[in-house]
Amino acid sequence: MLKVMRNEFRLVMADQGVLVFFLLLCFAYPILYSLIYNTEVARNVPTVVVDDSRSHASREIVRNIDATPEVAVVGIVPSMSEARDCMARKDCYAIIHIDRDFGRDNARGDQRHISAYCDMSVMMRYKNVLSGLVGATQHEAERTQALAVAPVLYNTGGIVNARHVPIGNTGMGMASAILLFVLPLVLQQSMLLGIGMLHGGSMERRRHCAGKDPLEVKAGVIPTVLGKSLCYLIIYALPSVFVLHVTPHIFDYPQNANPLAVIALALPFLLGVSLMGQTIKVFINERESTFLMIVFSSIVFIFLSGASWPRFEISTFWKAVGDVVPGVWMGNAYVLMKSDGASLWQVARHMAILWGQCAIFFALACLVEKYISRPRYARYQERAQEDPTLAHRLELIKNGE
Amino acid sequence: MHYVIDSLWRGAVQLVRRPMYVLMIVIMPVLCAWFLLDLLKEGPLQRVPVAMVDLDRSGVSRSLARNLGSFQQVEVTNHYTSFAQAKDAVQRGRVMGFFLIPEDFEENLLAGRQPVLSYYVNYAYFAPGSMQYKGFKTISVMVGGSVVRTVMRTVGMRDEAIKPLLLPYATHVHMPGNPYLNYNFYLNSSFVPTLLSLFILMVTAFALGTELKSGLSPRWLERAGGNVVIALWGKLLPQTVLFTVVGWFIQWMMYVQFHFPLNCSPWAMILAMPLLVLANQGFAVTMFCFVPNFRLGTTVCTLFGMLSFSFCGFSLPAESMYPWIASIGYMMPSKYYFLISTDQALNGLPLYYSRVYYAMLIAFTLLPLPLLWRLKREAADPVYIP
Repeated sequence: MLKVMRNEFRLVMADQGVLVFFLLLCFAYPILYSLIYNTEVARNVPTVVVDDSRSHASREIVRNIDATPEVAVVGIVPSMSEARDCMARKDCYAIIHIDRDFGRDNARGDQRHISAYCDMSVMMRYKNVLSGLVGATQHEAERTQALAVAPVLYNTGGIVNARHVPIGNTGMGMASAILLFVLPLVLQQSMLLGIGMLHGGSMERRRHCAGKDPLEVKAGVIPTVLGKSLCYLIIYALPSVFVLHVTPHIFDYPQNANPLAVIALALPFLLGVSLMGQTIKVFINERESTFLMIVFSSIVFIFLSGASWPRFEISTFWKAVGDVVPGVWMGNAYVLMKSDGASLWQVARHMAILWGQCAIFFALACLVEKYISRPRYARYQERAQEDPTLAHRLELIKNGE
Repeated sequence: MHYVIDSLWRGAVQLVRRPMYVLMIVIMPVLCAWFLLDLLKEGPLQRVPVAMVDLDRSGVSRSLARNLGSFQQVEVTNHYTSFAQAKDAVQRGRVMGFFLIPEDFEENLLAGRQPVLSYYVNYAYFAPGSMQYKGFKTISVMVGGSVVRTVMRTVGMRDEAIKPLLLPYATHVHMPGNPYLNYNFYLNSSFVPTLLSLFILMVTAFALGTELKSGLSPRWLERAGGNVVIALWGKLLPQTVLFTVVGWFIQWMMYVQFHFPLNCSPWAMILAMPLLVLANQGFAVTMFCFVPNFRLGTTVCTLFGMLSFSFCGFSLPAESMYPWIASIGYMMPSKYYFLISTDQALNGLPLYYSRVYYAMLIAFTLLPLPLLWRLKREAADPVYIP
């Protein structure tokens, strides 16, 4: 087993492509992703106002809306058609229309009408316009209510104080929410890519060397699988600390987790991923086809982990698909620990499942190695003995010659 | 002419003989598109699991809890008797937030002592967080409103006069194109085409790289009469056709099966699809001309393909990013397809407003032309670096 591990280590170190996946990817991707989302929140959605009332009251409410952090009034235009033209040219992403009777209704104490039209291509803009509008009008509403009941309740403040307490991700930022799901997945995907590429390289050597991989160490099925996993685990010691611990520090994400607890969770996760990689590598026959096979699955896994659409709303079928992936459990447990300060005990279920996945993928990796990969290598050797040029001819045929 | 036919024949034969192409051009893009569309088919997000911590246990607090339960945004799945229990439930991921009614709430409310209602929202989950906020905020405003109404009624005010007092501003927020706040319409209008783009970028880089790796690229040029443009067309055009058909199928899934908003002439989107495919192929070839090496070329294409989901401003709007990052988004074909689908399918604007985006997609197709000599040089004498 140790021999396999040492040999695998040598192979990784000699392979630039794998090193890029194992190390460079783990350092570059978290930084890049974090930079993209580092502004965390959207502020000041450009908005134009169509003020048909042109009264003192309407100007005041426009000022109040402009004063909210979410909305920025970039222009006041005379008609809706002009406002729509502004929106079509993307000079603004929302239109606020103030009713003609706004001033009159205000003076009479009637309900005043404001309409907003929002560009729906990016949901966050709509959310901001809505909350800017609610913020500006709610404040006014509370004031009038308090004034009305003051003589009866002997109190000029609000009736109820509502306290909104953001927990977990207290800055309510987007990066802090999404990136914590993404970080474990970066580890998972980079490791899968690396394992796939190593295996692809080995398959190519077999094709060129009459079905034998000259750089392979002869060992039983279980020592081979475990030895390789051990090698990947050791290599990932540093990248995983960088991804799971240092990146949140750099970008100031929530850090309420005990680092030791995260390590305790990362261990079954990384082991599970390494075994998963050794299971799915059977689909890879070439170094570069790794890209095609693995990369797109990142998007699928991000969605399965519930970073964007919550897992409680996912259909049972897709939830079951997601349950198979170590990164999904790790992602959710990591978020609970980092954001909400969950202890290891509170994510014990996630941890148990991660260990269970290790067991299942270990069994699968062994079965795949024994019943699919090794017989396949043997077939290669047989065929190469019968016809040494076969591999080369197949290559020509595949390339359309 | 026979060079063109010969090249095209070679390109088409390659597609059929490598299962990888069929898998990555047809099966996986369709499967992934179906995955995304089916995953979000519920439409608007609702019924976020939350907890209620009622320390008051009075008539008012119970009716508040009942009212909260009738909301669409949240579902009260658990009731706890202490803050600590609710916090534990959040940390275990059982609920996504909770509403806390303090002791003596009713008494303080009726005495006018401004009791404090607190709602704890876990923003570690982004979308459910904002949904909860909406529900909790509304209910806490309603509590105040109901007190005002009772008080005003007792002093003899008419209901019609009370209404503007409770809600002085009636705000009507219109959501053109997506009036039900359907999350599927919003997210997948951008994500599904961008995922297809990722496949196009990767497959194009893979196709060129395989040619160099196998050492058969001199033969590839030879069959095109030494003309790299013909060689490239011959190799990529069969893929273009296949990808376009797959793209149309995905559009059919979106606009017909899943009823995505299509407020323009369908031709505006049908035409945009081949342009998107060509633009992505152009982008991939350009990248490959810069780094004519299998692994590096593929890495660069994959990197851009993956990051374009974020660069292009589908979730965090571009105007809120660092300007230099937002500008990288404008280097990606997916960004222009996204703008076209926003303008045309979602907002139904006249084509005039999208003219630049169509032109940009065409420009991407032509982008590699000045750099093709690099590809030709490499193809004439390929060196494979693992």
